Amino acid sequence: MALDKEIYKALEAIVGERNISSDPGVCETYRCAAAQSSAHYGPYDHRTPMPQAVVMPGSTEEVQGIIRICNKYKLKYKASTTFWSAHGYIGSDFAIQLDMRRMKKIEIDRDNMIAVVEPYAIAATVQAEAMKYGLTCNIPGVGCSSSILANTAGWGGPGPSSVFTGNASENFLCAEWVLPTGEVLVTGSAGAGAGWFSGEGPGPGQRAILRGARGTTGEMGVCTKISLKLSPWPGPRYIPSEGLPPAYRAKLPENFKAYAICFPDWDRWAQAMMALCDAEIVYAAHRQFSMFGRDIKAAMLRILTDPDKQLCDIPALNMDPEIQAANESLKIEMYVVLAGMTPADMAWKEQALNEILEKYGGWKDKMCLEPDMAEWLLMYFTRLGHKNLNYALCGSYEGHFGLNSGNLIKSASVCEEAFALKREWEQKDNFMAAIGGDSSMGGLSSIGGGGGPMLWEFFCHFDAHDKASIDKVRDYFNGVSAVWQAQMGFGGDFSKNCEAGRKESGYAYSQEEHNEIFSRAPQPEPFIFQWKIREAFNPNHLGDSYYQTLDPKYLEKRA
Amino acid sequence: MSLQEYKPMQERCSNCSFCKWIPFDKVRSARFAENCPAVCYGGWNTYSARGRFQMALAVVNGELEYTETMTDIVHTCLACGSCDVACKICRYNLEPLAHNIELKNDAVRAGKILPAQEKMLEAFKTEKTLIPGMRKADRSAWAEGIPFAEEGEVLYYPGCKYSYDPALRGAVRGAAELLIRAGVQLRYLGEGDVCCAGRLYQMGFFEPFEKRAGFNIKQFKAAGIKTIVTPCSDCYHAFKRLYPKQGLDIEVLHVVEYIDRLLSEGKLKFTKTVPLTVTYHDPCHLGRQGEPYVPWEGKEKKILNQIHTWEPRRPRYNGAYGIYDAPRRIIEAIPGVKLVEMERIREYSWCCGAGGGCSETNPEFSRWTASERVTEANSTGAQALVTACPWCKANFEGCPDENGNTIEVIDIIDLVNRAL
Repeated sequence: MALDKEIYKALEAIVGERNISSDPGVCETYRCAAAQSSAHYGPYDHRTPMPQAVVMPGSTEEVQGIIRICNKYKLKYKASTTFWSAHGYIGSDFAIQLDMRRMKKIEIDRDNMIAVVEPYAIAATVQAEAMKYGLTCNIPGVGCSSSILANTAGWGGPGPSSVFTGNASENFLCAEWVLPTGEVLVTGSAGAGAGWFSGEGPGPGQRAILRGARGTTGEMGVCTKISLKLSPWPGPRYIPSEGLPPAYRAKLPENFKAYAICFPDWDRWAQAMMALCDAEIVYAAHRQFSMFGRDIKAAMLRILTDPDKQLCDIPALNMDPEIQAANESLKIEMYVVLAGMTPADMAWKEQALNEILEKYGGWKDKMCLEPDMAEWLLMYFTRLGHKNLNYALCGSYEGHFGLNSGNLIKSASVCEEAFALKREWEQKDNFMAAIGGDSSMGGLSSIGGGGGPMLWEFFCHFDAHDKASIDKVRDYFNGVSAVWQAQMGFGGDFSKNCEAGRKESGYAYSQEEHNEIFSRAPQPEPFIFQWKIREAFNPNHLGDSYYQTLDPKYLEKRA
Repeated sequence: MSLQEYKPMQERCSNCSFCKWIPFDKVRSARFAENCPAVCYGGWNTYSARGRFQMALAVVNGELEYTETMTDIVHTCLACGSCDVACKICRYNLEPLAHNIELKNDAVRAGKILPAQEKMLEAFKTEKTLIPGMRKADRSAWAEGIPFAEEGEVLYYPGCKYSYDPALRGAVRGAAELLIRAGVQLRYLGEGDVCCAGRLYQMGFFEPFEKRAGFNIKQFKAAGIKTIVTPCSDCYHAFKRLYPKQGLDIEVLHVVEYIDRLLSEGKLKFTKTVPLTVTYHDPCHLGRQGEPYVPWEGKEKKILNQIHTWEPRRPRYNGAYGIYDAPRRIIEAIPGVKLVEMERIREYSWCCGAGGGCSETNPEFSRWTASERVTEANSTGAQALVTACPWCKANFEGCPDENGNTIEVIDIIDLVNRAL
């Protein structure tokens, strides 16, 4: 259905001719290709619906105006910024896409250690601005290319440094929130005109309603500005980066160190991870390069740190005894960054790490101690600017049967069994990269602790251009997830992460369909709670089904 | 390749939007973190390399036909290659720049070109230049009185911009005279000197480019040329990267490489002090696109089931080995000159705005792009902006930054001459 001229003109009157388009070529580039892993509900060989128009608001007032028009015409809308993930795209035919790129201001309040940011402020730019004042921010696992506002207000947000900086939900303070009706609610201390430093007053404390566990998910209006907590950065005013592309290295001072720490078995690995959390010594910790697979991770580290090497060098590298030894050394590992606030603090952290290694029979991997490699690791983990490496091997990936039980000991005890299962599937067909079974990635924890995220994103690399590869990978996910989730009690499956947010077709669920899904949930109450919030704040239901709701009347009727 | 042959890349692009930013490892501020002038100016995702992949895929699949807006967006690409560098920080199997240009070619073949491009093509046909309004008869006026050699293997190739722009005359003459003084038997084609057509390639007009390249290559061979020296970065790129595929097999040097060589050999010495703080702008076609051409023919080969590689090993152009150090060595060797760097330099430099023919086809966009760079240059506190390309110099000249301030723009050849 073409957008009615009257609606188009009304929107154009708000944002100006230059900031609205219904050109099919423009609108086409606001569809998510569901073969890409960021879809996290497939993979499927299709794209999400075509928007009726794309609009670029430049201010909160313009966002208000757009939302009021949408309410008037019952036109659905979705705001997004960096567009990597399917979450940010519309899920209905009669809908418009808001591209928030014109709103990208960043203000750093050094004294209160906070940043006040607009939607198109990405983590890299927020961190760069914060570093000028000796501060840094949590960079979520999706990487520094993504909107920090979207991560903080709209979705999850843990990352490798969350153990030091806190994850997104822990850092969220105030918000300037354009409600689904078009009114503006400023939450926290900012709502009382007292500044942006506190999420819970003086002023309206709405964090639980606005964010909850998973955030607004594009359903509950548009956040046009938020404040978030920053953390101390004991480094220079910017990351001194050297070297030839892509092997940039961080030349940080002696109070920064990066290591790959390795263990003889999963049990001691798990015990050591918990000890690391307890000791509170790491700036960042992530089981990262395992995403390339147990068989090729050392070769990949060599390729990524040498501007003259390419993927075609993997077979030759894997013949090298030094690489073979490194693969063996790095089999059960964790990459950590230590950042000392003072020389004494650094010495203490180094000592604590060494004691943990000694206690659990661990070691620092030799290859990762090479100066160039260590500096590359520092660069990687302090900026998190290479997240597109997720796609480097085959063009697409999806995380499958994540071993996220909330209990690290339980996960660690069965992970080799899971790896063997994946290796078996790698061998019996050609649809995914055969990289050695174990390709499980995850961060240590958040400030809140728990260690749950580790081993949660189990990489399966496939080719988005190869239809058979897409289809068979999806069949594989469906098969193994049924066993590992339903029967063995593991969760956090990335391939199913958005399954309840978007249908296989790429469209949003209807309320009836969501009722059916969530009425079967072990605990349907949170979805009923969200339904109540949505009814109160979003009477015209102009968002989509990533905001997961269950109509209590459905349960009553069924009872 | 045809656009259809890029389908695997179109489908394998992972939509990460890294192509909109400088390599993240290099970000020092929010103000100078973005890399693609087209998407910064136009706004829509469509302008980005990712957007172009997605739009092109729909075209290839027959789902979209070029609209006026699409045609404008397709050609609003400076072909500067900043997206290419950023993408290849992680990706080993995508070629965003080559695809952007192939998309232009597809639009050209569909007859979807811009009015300004028609004028450029007309000038190319009748006056052998891509600068409308210039006459072939005036092309060699700059060379009057310069004692070029009748015999010799080194050809001086000034390019259209230097040949016609009176404001650049000092530099184009200065470089030639400097090389001659240093003992080079320098030749100039005179009547035979015509446009290299590199810009035609950047705009997607492959056929006339190939014809012109063939013509020029024949001329060079007939004249016994073994080395081409050019002060123009666009021409340098054409000869260094594009012509070899058409059969050119001779040494290609930018003037800065030659001067750098003369300095290192002690054949050139600076005698005067130039008390100036300057910043240096890396021209895209000398810097990230200045890497030498490596012949390759092969096909995709998957290893370990699904990992994409190429057989035989394919050259990887990611800006690592462009010409960055030679101009910096020259600047730093001049007594009194202090070099201060901008945030976006070397392979992740911001474009001047003249690339891809955009200074002719979309002057407003081109000027805005230059203004952004002048803002960055002024933020360093430099008194002057030095560059090694006539197109960059002309685009920066008199261009106000975001605060309305201009900056003195100096051709590196002029700076060298000040110190001799």
